[in-house]
Amino acid sequence: MDAFEEKTMKARLPSWLVTPESLLIGLSMAFWFIMGKLDHSFLQWEVQRELSTHIWETALMALPMTLIILTGGIDLSIGSIMSLSAVTAGLLHQAGWPMPMGCLAAMVVGMACGWLNGWFITRFKVHPLMITLASMAAFRGMAEGVSQARPLSGFPESFTRMGNDAWLGLPIAGWIFAGSLAMAVWIMHAHRLGRCIHAIGYNEQAARFSGLRVDRMLLGLYTLSGLSAAMAAILFMARRNTAKADIGAGVELGVITAVVMGGVSIFGGRGTLAGVCLGLFLIHETREFVSWHWSRDELNLLALGVLLILSVVFQQLLGHKRPS
Amino acid sequence: MKHCFSLLSPRHLLRGCLIAWILFLSACGPSTPSETTETGADNQAVVAPKETITIALIPKKKGLPYFTSCASGAEAAAQELGNVTLIYDGPTDGSPEKQASMIEQYALKGVDVIAVSPNDPDVVAPAMRKAREKGIHVIAWDADAVTDARSYFVNQSTAQAIAYGMVDTMVQDLGGPEIRAQVAIVTAYLTAANQNIWIKHMKTRMADTYPNLELVAIKPSDEDQKMAFKVTQDLMKAYPDIKGFFGISSVSFPGAAEAVKQAGQSGKVMVTGLATPNSMKAYVKDGTVKSVVLWNTAELGYLTVQVGAALAQGTLKAGETTFEAGKLGTKQIEGDHVLLGDILVFTKDNIDQYDF
Amino acid sequence: MNPSGSNPKVQQAWFSLLKSRTAGLACFTTLILVWMSLWNPTFLAWSNLRDIAVAAAPVCIISCGLMLVLVLGEIDISVGSMMGVLAAAMGAMASASRWHLPPGVAMVGTLILGVFIGAINGWLVAYLKVPSIMVTLGMLTALRGVTEVIMGGQWITDLPPELRSLGTGTWLGIPICLWVTAAVVLISLWLIHRSTLGRRIYAIGSHPKAARLAGLPIARTQCLVFAWTGFLTAVATLVSVPQLSVVDAGIGVGMELLVVTCVVVGGTAVSGGIGNLSGVLLGALLMTMISTVLIFMKLGENATYWSRAIQGLFILGAILLEPWTRSRKKP
Repeated sequence: MDAFEEKTMKARLPSWLVTPESLLIGLSMAFWFIMGKLDHSFLQWEVQRELSTHIWETALMALPMTLIILTGGIDLSIGSIMSLSAVTAGLLHQAGWPMPMGCLAAMVVGMACGWLNGWFITRFKVHPLMITLASMAAFRGMAEGVSQARPLSGFPESFTRMGNDAWLGLPIAGWIFAGSLAMAVWIMHAHRLGRCIHAIGYNEQAARFSGLRVDRMLLGLYTLSGLSAAMAAILFMARRNTAKADIGAGVELGVITAVVMGGVSIFGGRGTLAGVCLGLFLIHETREFVSWHWSRDELNLLALGVLLILSVVFQQLLGHKRPS
Repeated sequence: MKHCFSLLSPRHLLRGCLIAWILFLSACGPSTPSETTETGADNQAVVAPKETITIALIPKKKGLPYFTSCASGAEAAAQELGNVTLIYDGPTDGSPEKQASMIEQYALKGVDVIAVSPNDPDVVAPAMRKAREKGIHVIAWDADAVTDARSYFVNQSTAQAIAYGMVDTMVQDLGGPEIRAQVAIVTAYLTAANQNIWIKHMKTRMADTYPNLELVAIKPSDEDQKMAFKVTQDLMKAYPDIKGFFGISSVSFPGAAEAVKQAGQSGKVMVTGLATPNSMKAYVKDGTVKSVVLWNTAELGYLTVQVGAALAQGTLKAGETTFEAGKLGTKQIEGDHVLLGDILVFTKDNIDQYDF
Repeated sequence: MNPSGSNPKVQQAWFSLLKSRTAGLACFTTLILVWMSLWNPTFLAWSNLRDIAVAAAPVCIISCGLMLVLVLGEIDISVGSMMGVLAAAMGAMASASRWHLPPGVAMVGTLILGVFIGAINGWLVAYLKVPSIMVTLGMLTALRGVTEVIMGGQWITDLPPELRSLGTGTWLGIPICLWVTAAVVLISLWLIHRSTLGRRIYAIGSHPKAARLAGLPIARTQCLVFAWTGFLTAVATLVSVPQLSVVDAGIGVGMELLVVTCVVVGGTAVSGGIGNLSGVLLGALLMTMISTVLIFMKLGENATYWSRAIQGLFILGAILLEPWTRSRKKP
């Protein structure tokens, strides 16, 4: 598409319509309509509420991931931090610690792992992709070593209720996510940090020269990412009543998929939390519906991949320019 | 880039959320009250004879020929019974979380029976219990689940028998219990529940009955044939005196056998383990592998569907000690384990009779 | 963006940094070899080194292609799933119980399919201007689904011997896959240093805007690089999958992570513009060696549980080799 075509294409449609977020809303509504037509039982509130329990952990981790990707970085180690935190809590519980203390320890471990990531990235000026690739292996390895790859379960019922109960119609995990989302929105809008994140994403050197404490902010973001992974681990343990070294395996792919689907540019600088929420929603509904209606897991993979590609293609065709 | 900032503003976000919420609630219909029957600790309520019974058969990993052959037996049972609709679906990546999600979905859909071979008994237990609370019969097959999460476990053979069978076969292949030999185990993932139980029993067997066997290493292959191949290769070099390998997953067994064959050690280093006969036929024929341990997978699937259908019909009640399983005849029930029978050992003499 | 590559002094600085990175990796690898030979002399045996090289061969081949993708400023995380689908297709084509085509046709078919899938990636990135992370992420998922559908719950256990010889055969005593790897490396070296395409790739990667203004055919170059990666993935499939007698649906899972690790450990900048083939090859060799080293060290059963952690530390060590490693983003 040359410059002239781009201009005329964009001129035909109002600017707010060509954003990825609007496209995602449109896609969601179209999907709802189709799903309703194909299998109405899927859209019942009971069903949706139960199925939503599958997505809260991914959603929780997607929030700091969005902030990190907005700065042009990435965190591939969240799955492994999740494993390590879960194993910590499990082992401490086995050693007789009360569950709240175990969860606190898990969160501390998560934050420590995230902080380590951030420290290596800022101190040695290595690309986050490389550091988090290494820490992905290292943290999960630590989880396997410390737990000797054994499963740990038998958590008290007061704890597992947190994973399975609902409050005012929404599962407790959903409330935790809603709270985190509110906090993330506040950070991005009302707090200086939001502007700084965008600034770092657009041009890090310029941000440094402008006097922003880039290193401290990045450190904070990666620590936050570690914390969210630990919280996701706690939610998982409450829901599934088990802590094992492999519970976080592959999670990072789902999180990054949701974030990228939501229109966040992997190069940093462009993206919204609203888009990520919509991306999460769309992926979750597609996955659940394909499973519900056709009961063929291999189709699930195909559908998800096609959805991803098609949504970006439409984003591009509608005239959204990719940042150079 | 102005528009993305304006879209970020809380006002717009709030408005968007509100609209989405209203749309969503309007799209969702009222929830239909799910049928609940009374459930006891290990009794399921007797249900009237059904017109159609829906059975969801969930393997550990869809796409493994082992489970595909079980499914063919299950399908045969469904055809034979006539009123059974079989859904065969499972995670293609073998993820326990995916399995649990599937169980939850089937519970919501309201199937009659869920038969699951759990990758990780603890992870799927809460979902299984929730399904039981909804009145769905939940049974385990091929691998056991947590005891109070399922009413029956259709077992091909006890874990102990499988482990002991492999060790005994290895000793036999090596030439007898007097032979001193170093052996190694190539397992799946380090965290794989089934494999770990088998390893535990294998160690016990070796310690108690065959003190001449020395287990030098247990290495994972992460369900990757290439990795099993490399691991076996490296172990043969690091331990030049090693005489036997156990490939205790259907992916690690062929990989290990290939490594032994390519190193020119066919017949000198023994390989045994669990795998479907088709994947090992070439190795058995050329002598790299003397025996392959398994069981009749099609019969396992068949029995599972029979048990599930009987539960749904109410013809299988707690406390019974035998079960009529169609063309398989009478099967024993020990407690809540329905036993298929013994393990099968495939050798050069009988492997051609099987095609799965 | 500040054109950093135009200043010859800065360029020299980049190159010297690169050379030191490769030198550092080479030192690291030699250190490990020396240490292992002291620990267990059989480590240095020809059969062991040959087997390590054979195991590293597919990773090396794909890394050659992926390095160019990263230099271009893009990324391709679908190579693992591509390998899976190509292996399944190759098996389905050649197996007597499936389509039963002649082995030659199966080989050529696999190569064509690899180019085709790579070209789709390239077309989406180059002409529809879709971010490569999204295209290849989508492909990663979709192709894995396609692999499962092709395999249909069964494995392929009867590859014809001609195909198997690609994986297990030797020529003049050296395995065929090593010959193929050497050929791919030589072609890549020629591509990078002697061909206009190579110049263009580095130019576009280090400064896309300047490249566009200079009139370089960016879209065509992008398409070609992705198609080339697809081709190399097919080549890697042909020489590595027939090493085993069973083609299963899980081939290639996690391969993309391994390849990306090798490439970045080898010194290719994630932001584009910098890339060094020798570093990449050393990186691939190093990563493959880790598991063998751990087995040879015979650390005992408990240590097996720590092997993944040790791998992570290895990668970290290789990344942090120089205290003054390059910055995350170009100035």
